[in-house]
Amino acid sequence: MRFLKLLALTALSWTAVAAKKATTNRFDTYFSKQASSAPFELDEKGYNELTATPRDYSLAVLLTARDARYACGLCREFDPEWSILGRSWQKGDRNGAHRMLLSTVDFDNGRNIFMKLQLQTAPVLLFFPPTVGPHAKPDGQPLRLEFLGPQTADSVRSWLLRHLPPGEYPPISRPINYARIGASITILLGAFTFITVAYPYVLPVVQNRTLWAGISLILILLFTSGHMFNHIRKVPYVAGNGRGGIAYFAPGFQNQYGMETQIVAAMYALLSFATISLALKVPRIKDPRTQQIAVIIWASVLFGMYSFLLSVFRVKNGGYPFWLPPF
Amino acid sequence: MAASTPLDPFLRGSTSKNTRGLLRIIILCTIAAAAVSARLFSVIRFESIIHEFDPWFNFRATKYLVKNGFYSFWDWFDDRTWHPLGRVTGGTLYPGLMVTSGVIYHILRLLSLPVDIRNICVLLAPGFSGFTALAMYLLTSEMSSSPSAGLLAAAFMGISPGYISRSVAGSYDNEAIAIFLLVFTFFLWIKAVKNGSIMWGALAALFYGYMVSAWGGYVFITNLIPLHAFTLILMGRYSSRLYISYTTWYALGTLASMQVPFVGFLPVRSSDHMAALGVFGLLQLVAFFNFLRDQLPGKQFQTLLVALGGTIVVIMFLGLVALTASGVIAPWSGRFYSLWDTGYAKIHIPIIASVSEHQPTAWPAFFFDLNMLIWLFPAGVYLCFRNLKDEHVFVVLYAVLASYFAGVMVRLMLTLTPVVCCAAGLALSYILDTYLYAQKPVEESASSDSNGSIKASKFSANSALRSTRNSIVGIYSVVSKSVITSMVTGFLLLYVAHCTWVTSNAYSSPSVVLASRLPDGSQHIIDDYREAYYWLRQNTPSDARVMSWWDYGYQIGGMADRPTLVDNNTWNNTHIATVGKAMSSREEVSYPILREHDVDYVLVVFGGLLGYSGDDINKFLWMVRIAEGIWPDEVRERDFFTARGEYRVDDQATPAMKNSLMYKMSYYNYNSLFPAGQAQDRVRGSSLPAQGPELSILEEAFTSENWIIRIYKVKDLDNVGRDHQSAVSFDKGHKKKRKPGAKKGVRVLREE
Repeated sequence: MRFLKLLALTALSWTAVAAKKATTNRFDTYFSKQASSAPFELDEKGYNELTATPRDYSLAVLLTARDARYACGLCREFDPEWSILGRSWQKGDRNGAHRMLLSTVDFDNGRNIFMKLQLQTAPVLLFFPPTVGPHAKPDGQPLRLEFLGPQTADSVRSWLLRHLPPGEYPPISRPINYARIGASITILLGAFTFITVAYPYVLPVVQNRTLWAGISLILILLFTSGHMFNHIRKVPYVAGNGRGGIAYFAPGFQNQYGMETQIVAAMYALLSFATISLALKVPRIKDPRTQQIAVIIWASVLFGMYSFLLSVFRVKNGGYPFWLPPF
Repeated sequence: MAASTPLDPFLRGSTSKNTRGLLRIIILCTIAAAAVSARLFSVIRFESIIHEFDPWFNFRATKYLVKNGFYSFWDWFDDRTWHPLGRVTGGTLYPGLMVTSGVIYHILRLLSLPVDIRNICVLLAPGFSGFTALAMYLLTSEMSSSPSAGLLAAAFMGISPGYISRSVAGSYDNEAIAIFLLVFTFFLWIKAVKNGSIMWGALAALFYGYMVSAWGGYVFITNLIPLHAFTLILMGRYSSRLYISYTTWYALGTLASMQVPFVGFLPVRSSDHMAALGVFGLLQLVAFFNFLRDQLPGKQFQTLLVALGGTIVVIMFLGLVALTASGVIAPWSGRFYSLWDTGYAKIHIPIIASVSEHQPTAWPAFFFDLNMLIWLFPAGVYLCFRNLKDEHVFVVLYAVLASYFAGVMVRLMLTLTPVVCCAAGLALSYILDTYLYAQKPVEESASSDSNGSIKASKFSANSALRSTRNSIVGIYSVVSKSVITSMVTGFLLLYVAHCTWVTSNAYSSPSVVLASRLPDGSQHIIDDYREAYYWLRQNTPSDARVMSWWDYGYQIGGMADRPTLVDNNTWNNTHIATVGKAMSSREEVSYPILREHDVDYVLVVFGGLLGYSGDDINKFLWMVRIAEGIWPDEVRERDFFTARGEYRVDDQATPAMKNSLMYKMSYYNYNSLFPAGQAQDRVRGSSLPAQGPELSILEEAFTSENWIIRIYKVKDLDNVGRDHQSAVSFDKGHKKKRKPGAKKGVRVLREE
């Protein structure tokens, strides 16, 4: 009896030591993995092993689907940011003093994990606090970061820091993009060479007044027809009208489609061109008959187009009371 | 010209000059009068009242200035806003507007015309719009030899809705005088460049200084004038005229702008002003090299130019980088940076994105504000390329830049309007001059010098526009002339009708007083705002702190004269986030915040009964977002959306929404207006839960006639030391809820 008790006790203490050893080993194995490539990739087995309690370390797992098949833009967008975070963390914490692991589970390697967690969307970042040790959270339930929009390495770092015990943590260090610097230097030098060589040929073009007039007018037409709105709000180019056709004009005063602005810009351009022709070209026509015809053509273009513009504007603004005959 | 008519003496010779001058003055005065009267709709329809939000602060500051004098205004520390922080008001505002009205007030009193300061404030914007029309005439007359261009541009400017939108009577805002100053400064600058005169340059600097003291948009001038000078240098048009005018303007203008405490040392530190400084340096270099070129032979000059110029450029570039990196020069200030990258501001500074004036402009807004000018504008810019003198370069640059800015930000339509009016005036006057010229050209005449008002450009074929290479003949037939003239007249009449309609329908509502139509067509005035503010003024102690969302801070300060926590100045994001957190949290969380900030009353705007869409529930997400920016753990935007991502207020509203103070304050007792279970929110178009929310830390103090404004009093601490929830449930006669297990637990010694 006594012997049995002793045996049980030894066995218990052995298991405890073994468990203790196991967790330490677990952290060390994966930490060495992290040292070689951070954040390291996990499969299902590794995930289950790492998330098993008790844990004396913190663990952040990014569940993502990077393969092009899954068409997860956010996953691929966030991937480089996640690597930057992982690498800067690894660089700032070489000895594992913070006892923190950063890892990635791709959908291809861990389909069952996604099923088990009932994840409908990706990416999801899970943070597992330690269950033993000074900063342990007793329940050990993972915290979840929702990706409602694009996240950066800095924002994710500050999210992690909120759940880690207060202290100094490795800052984000973004690698210097040598390729980009090299490319921009090459482009600069190339442009410089090109300008030097082509100078005599380019000069007349640069000094051409009609060219500059064209550029300015195009810019003005672009901006005054609401192009910046499209750019900022990312409006659709066209939309259906609900009856199988295409709606060219968005309903409402504060709305527009991409194509709509192009139509409007074209209308403005035509009206301006008619005005310019009437002002500059027509008085220079020497033949009275031709001039008469030109005046009538341009005047009718001006009148008709303006009337159409007003009718389009009435579509946008219901209560607008003014109109001109044809439309 | 042979036929003599009785009018002849007036139309020819020196008398004709006088006649035309007199006519011009009469026309300009009429235009100014039209500009003023077009802005009086709101006074006639409502009354002489200050509009909207910011003007209420300006009005309050003006009253302070008139009462306490200039120097104490300059040092004004306002302890009635941003409680408990206060605001160094004198050093954080643009004083130009208030000082202008103060000066007018004192002049009128000197003339023994005791006009109430409120009326001066209300009518300041229309008055200055008359001046703007005159300034527009001067500016456009510099661009064209035709006298009608200026008059047309002035008329356009006077009634263009794009400008009226910010300058109706009662809209007592910085823009009221700033647009006049903008146009006038540009006129003086053009004059200075044309004449190379120190006097005009100094005058431009003087008015630039005035502009700096009046509106933050002065940065536009600060960048446009250097850009003009820079472009002229690039075009090889450097001249001593440019040197004199630019250096005079820059030196005096920068000194003048630094006198405004709010601007202070920004002109030498912020990168918004670096372009002006850079061009100033560049001009010195160009002038120096020009001087050297006269002294040195060609070959040596070339070598020197490359060596010295290259070195200087490299040194300056490195210096700039070093200064920016070391933090001596600020990188990019938020509001200005959002011009370049609107995405940046939206992500990083929610308070900027929450201001609706920072929204981009859709095309109908351009047409609405400028009508036919919007398509005359490119034509006018094209005409500027015909002669392309220095001043025309300015118009082209201004046109392109201002259209970009106006496209990015609705509010900057204001800076676009002047150049649109100028260009449209140029285009239309050119057409009218051509088609109204009564005389028929002689056929086969090679060049018609008789066409007095049109100057044939005498540039070589290379530098001229393609469309102006042939010489002008003129218009032959009377039919053409009458067709075009009548069409233009029709368009002009349509423009006037459009402007009047837009002004009367869209821009003449004070937004403090709302107007609606009853079913029988008669007008019904909804005056809830003033009702509530006067209630505050008359029923609360004069130091009762009122908490509301920042939109209403200025109005509470101006109309109710009560201290507020946050206002439209938005200088302290954290403080605003505190208010946002108090509004969006549960009562138990909010109460300590309210107590800590000594809040006595809480004011919310609720449009559910009337269908008034600008209410606080619709702005609520911004409060949540701003609060989340500071306390991401305690307030989460996600919690206010249902699982399907909807923003709801009915049965399916999220618990966070239902428990938020804002929701409770908005809908408290609201269902008592309706038969049981039929409470309707007319803004969100949803029916509300049968059981209305319960409030325990606040009690309803006042609700205005149409329920737009609801004011709650913050309860004091309970006499017996209970928390408010249990006090309320006790009052209702419920039994005190016993905490499960509270009795059974181990008794512990209470430790203090």
